[in-house]
Amino acid sequence: MDFQAIHDRLQSIGAPGLTGSDEPRPANKETKDKGRGGTPFVLVEPAKLSDFVRVCRDDADLQMDLMIDITASDPAVDSEDLWVLVQLLSTTKRHRLMIKAILPKANASLPTCVPVYRAAQWNERECAEMFGITFEGHPDPRNILLPDDWIGHPMRKDYEFPKEYHGVSCE
Amino acid sequence: MTDTTNQSGHKPSISQEEVRTLPSGETEHFFDVSTSDLEVNMGPQHPATHGVMRVLIRCDGELVTGAQPHLGYLHRCAEKIGENVEWLQYLPYTDRYDYLAAMNNNLGYSLAVEALMPALEIPRRATLIRMICAELNRVASHLVAIGTYGLDIGAITPFLYCFREREWIQALFEKICGARLTYSFIRIGGVFNDAPPGWLEECGHFCDVFDEKWQEYHDLLAMNHIFIKRTADVGVMPLKMALDFGITGPMLRGSGYDFDLRKDMPYMAYGEAYEAGAFDIPVGTGQKGTLGDCWDRFYVRVEEMRESIKLVRWCLDNIEDGDIIADVPKVIKVPAGEAYVGIENPRGELGHYVHSDGGKVAVRCRVVGPSFTNLAVLEDMMPGTLLADSVAIIGSTDIVVGETDR
Repeated sequence: MDFQAIHDRLQSIGAPGLTGSDEPRPANKETKDKGRGGTPFVLVEPAKLSDFVRVCRDDADLQMDLMIDITASDPAVDSEDLWVLVQLLSTTKRHRLMIKAILPKANASLPTCVPVYRAAQWNERECAEMFGITFEGHPDPRNILLPDDWIGHPMRKDYEFPKEYHGVSCE
Repeated sequence: MTDTTNQSGHKPSISQEEVRTLPSGETEHFFDVSTSDLEVNMGPQHPATHGVMRVLIRCDGELVTGAQPHLGYLHRCAEKIGENVEWLQYLPYTDRYDYLAAMNNNLGYSLAVEALMPALEIPRRATLIRMICAELNRVASHLVAIGTYGLDIGAITPFLYCFREREWIQALFEKICGARLTYSFIRIGGVFNDAPPGWLEECGHFCDVFDEKWQEYHDLLAMNHIFIKRTADVGVMPLKMALDFGITGPMLRGSGYDFDLRKDMPYMAYGEAYEAGAFDIPVGTGQKGTLGDCWDRFYVRVEEMRESIKLVRWCLDNIEDGDIIADVPKVIKVPAGEAYVGIENPRGELGHYVHSDGGKVAVRCRVVGPSFTNLAVLEDMMPGTLLADSVAIIGSTDIVVGETDR
C-alpha cells in the first residue's frame, strides 16, 4: 500500500488519536511556503500513540508487524515542542509508515509502547535519557547509553555541555 | 535468594521436584537443588562480547536465569555530532558505527540524504559500483562474523582462513578508495572515485576464487560435527519473539522468515537484479536442530556470502561506462524536509532519519542500528539456557558494539 492508501485505511477504521498527515510538497512562492521533501508521515496525539500503533499492528490491511524505531527530535532551540517519531514496517504487505507525535517540552510524557512491541523497550530508554521524555508504564526505565548519574538530556538543542565529570575537567 | 524470574516471567524448569518411574520399575526422584543465584559479569573486556560490552548474567548453578546487557562503553554521540557538522562532514562518522560494514553505512546515509534531494540523479555506473562495494563489504563482514563465531566456541583454524579472504577484499577496497576499514567512499550523489584499470576484472577473479573457498568454510566449520553439537538446538529464537523485538536481517531469516529489504522493498538496482534471478534469499530451515537456533542463524550468513558473490557478478556483467557522481557542490545545502530510509546491512536494517531545514547542517540525524535492536532479544533468549552456551548465543547475534552504542 502507498501512503495515501494507508492514510485512508487509518481514517476509515477510525484509528485512535489520528489528527492529520503531512506529505512532501513543492515550494510555493506566493504563500512563502518553502516546501519539503522526503517521507510522508501521519500525525498522532501523543496520549493515544500506544493505542494507535496497536491498531496498526492488528489491522488486517496494515499488518505493521515490525517496529523499526522509536525516537525523538528537538526541532529548534526556541521550539516549545518535542517530536516523537515512530517507524513501522509491514513484512507481509511491504510498506512502511512514519508516525509523528508532537508533545510540549514542558510536559513531555506519553504512554509506553512496550506492551504492543517489545522492540520499543530499549529505544524508549534511549529516547528518555537523551530527550527527557517520560514513557509512562515503561517496565525498565533506566539509562541505557549514558551513566546512571548523568545530568541533563544531551540531545536537546539547549543542552549545555558539562564542565567537569567526577572531578575530571572537560574543558 | 534473589528472585529467579526475569522480565518475561520465564522460570527455569529444573527447580521443580518430580518423580518418574523407569521401565525397570524403579522410581527416580528429581529434587530441587537450586542454590542462591550467582551474578557473573561477562565483559566489559570479555573477548566474546566483540567490543566493549558487559552482559550481567544471573545463574543458578549452570543454568542462566537472567541476562542483562549493559551498553554505552563505546558511546561517541554520533547523533549529536550529526547535528553539528555539515552533511558531507558527517560521512566519516558513519564509517564508525558498524566498522565491519563501513561501505553499507556510507550507503545508508547517502541514500537518506539523497531522498531529500529529488533533483539529484545518480549515474548508473555509480549505482553499480555502490552495489559491488556494498556486497563485497557484506562478504567481508560475514567472514568476520563466522570466523569469530568459530573462534568464540573454540574453532581457531577457520578464523585464519576467513581473514585470508577478507584481506583480499580489503586490498580491493584499498585500490579503489585508499582505505582498508573506514572508507567514506560512497558519497552523497555517487561514489568518490572511479574503479582503477583492472579493478573490475580483479573483482571477477575474486568471485571465482571465493566460490571454491566457500566450500572450504562450509565443510570445515558449518558441517563440523563438534561445531554443530555446540550450536544446534541452542539459543532458539521463535519467529514470534523475533517479530516482537523488531529483529531484522540474518537473525530474522535464521528463524525461517523470508524477508530481505533487497528483495521485498528494493532500492538501487536490487529489484532489477532479483528479477533477473541474480540472487536468492537464504532462510533458516532447522536443518541440524530446531528452527531458529544458533546454527541456523550462522548458516544463513554462510549462504548469504555466496548470494552476495552472485550479485557482484551480476553487477560486473551489467556495468557500463559513465559518470560516477552527480553534480554535487562541495558544500551541500539539502532542501528542507524529513526522510527515513532503511537499507539491508549485513546485520539487519540500518535506518537513517534525517531532518533538514534547508541549511548546511542537519537538524536531526537519527541512526537506527541493527545491532542495537538485535541485542535486546538477549534478555529473553538467554534465560533457561546453560552458562556454557551463553558465548554461543551472544556470538550468534553477531553484534558490533560500535553500532549498539553509536
